[in-house]
Amino acid sequence: MELVKGTSPMVDKGPEDTVTAWPHLLLMEILAVLGVTLLLLAMGIFINAPLRELANPDVTENPAKAPWYFLNLQEMLLHMHPSLAGVIVPGAIIVLLMMVPYLDRNKADIGIWFASPKGRRLALIALIYTPPILLGLIFFNEYVVVRSIISQPELIPSWLIPLGVIGFFTGALLFIFRSFKPTFREVLVGLFTAFVVTYFITTIVSTVFRGYGMHLTWPWELPPGALTF
Amino acid sequence: MSRKIIHLITANRVWRSIFRYGYPDTEENRSKVIFQTFFLHIHPVKVKTHTLKPTYTFGLGVIAFYLFAVLTITGVLLMFFYVPSVQRAYTDIQALETAVPFGMLMRNVHRWGAHLMVLFVFLHMMRVFYTGGYKYPRELNWVIGVLLWVFTLLLSFTGYLLPWDQLSFWAITVGTNIAGAAPVIGEEARTLLLGAKEVGQDALLRFYVLHVMLLPLVATVFILIHFWRIRKDGGISSPAEQNLPVP
Repeated sequence: MELVKGTSPMVDKGPEDTVTAWPHLLLMEILAVLGVTLLLLAMGIFINAPLRELANPDVTENPAKAPWYFLNLQEMLLHMHPSLAGVIVPGAIIVLLMMVPYLDRNKADIGIWFASPKGRRLALIALIYTPPILLGLIFFNEYVVVRSIISQPELIPSWLIPLGVIGFFTGALLFIFRSFKPTFREVLVGLFTAFVVTYFITTIVSTVFRGYGMHLTWPWELPPGALTF
Repeated sequence: MSRKIIHLITANRVWRSIFRYGYPDTEENRSKVIFQTFFLHIHPVKVKTHTLKPTYTFGLGVIAFYLFAVLTITGVLLMFFYVPSVQRAYTDIQALETAVPFGMLMRNVHRWGAHLMVLFVFLHMMRVFYTGGYKYPRELNWVIGVLLWVFTLLLSFTGYLLPWDQLSFWAITVGTNIAGAAPVIGEEARTLLLGAKEVGQDALLRFYVLHVMLLPLVATVFILIHFWRIRKDGGISSPAEQNLPVP
């Protein structure tokens, strides 16, 4: 133990803020591992992995779905240009996520869930704001269909409208955030929440609510083989 | 009597060569159990009490890594019974389920473990984001973590084709069509991935090699760096660092 000058909260504090990794940390890790082992064994004993008929390129599946964790992309594919849905949006999300620590340099709220009570509130707002808009957009394009209103030139329904919709609703969310005078970190917490909610909802909708021809349906009316687990 | 048996087992050179300390119920031995073993690479001797709060980490990182380990072990076992050829792949899986002892269980655990890993890696990422764990000095480890999320998805995706049934064939057809939508290089990227214009024998071999060799190796290297950086960056984040200056 070495005492150093500085503003560290550890200055003048003994090692009483610490405990030995064994047994305190390692026992908890072992408990987590045992819990997952039990869960996995139970799943493995009671639920069999799917095995359908032999692969046949001549018999197209309907619906033909990607594995469930890529169905968020396939959901977007229904609403915008394939380049936008399959590559540009996911690529942008990965790059933006990687940039976060280089943009947010303030350590004032490290180690606090949702940064602050205000951050928690912005996350809650994003959690309430996103589902109705997202579901509204999905329903609109299913039952009204953007392309029935405007289909030419192709650029409009496949690029301009989707990008405009994403930009508008993100901007509107940021506008709501602004009235709370949040810090940059609190805005990030809110935006990340909107992303997580979008990610989960598009995945779930496309996995259990889309049947023949990728049209909306109820989970109990799904065609056989529509679940790609 | 039991003392004698314990003495017989522990008081010899073989035992002493493996465990260079007594039972870790004293401060000294508790520090040695970490400090003098491989575990020093993973954990420090002492950890901040804050990092032990179950509601801080929920153990998500440990769980994600444990699932990776389970998938490696079950994956190696499955490789003994599987040939990546369009003539054999499907019947190999059928034989695995019906003729191999515990084959069905092995396959089930591998399958559900993979899905759980996709889920837990994302939950782990959410935890780190919401607690500000990406902040200085952990920027690089966050970036590595985002990449590990992508590798997890790719590992799961490449494994999805291997049973060679209708489910896997069409899921990979749809999935690689999404990759083929990339501007300019899309078609080339898809052909590179499949080794042909359509999903067939070439694709099965490529996905197999990616799934059992290349991606696990890359993921392992990144996981090792990920863990090493946690140690280098002073363990996991905690509010105690709030006042530390950022250069």
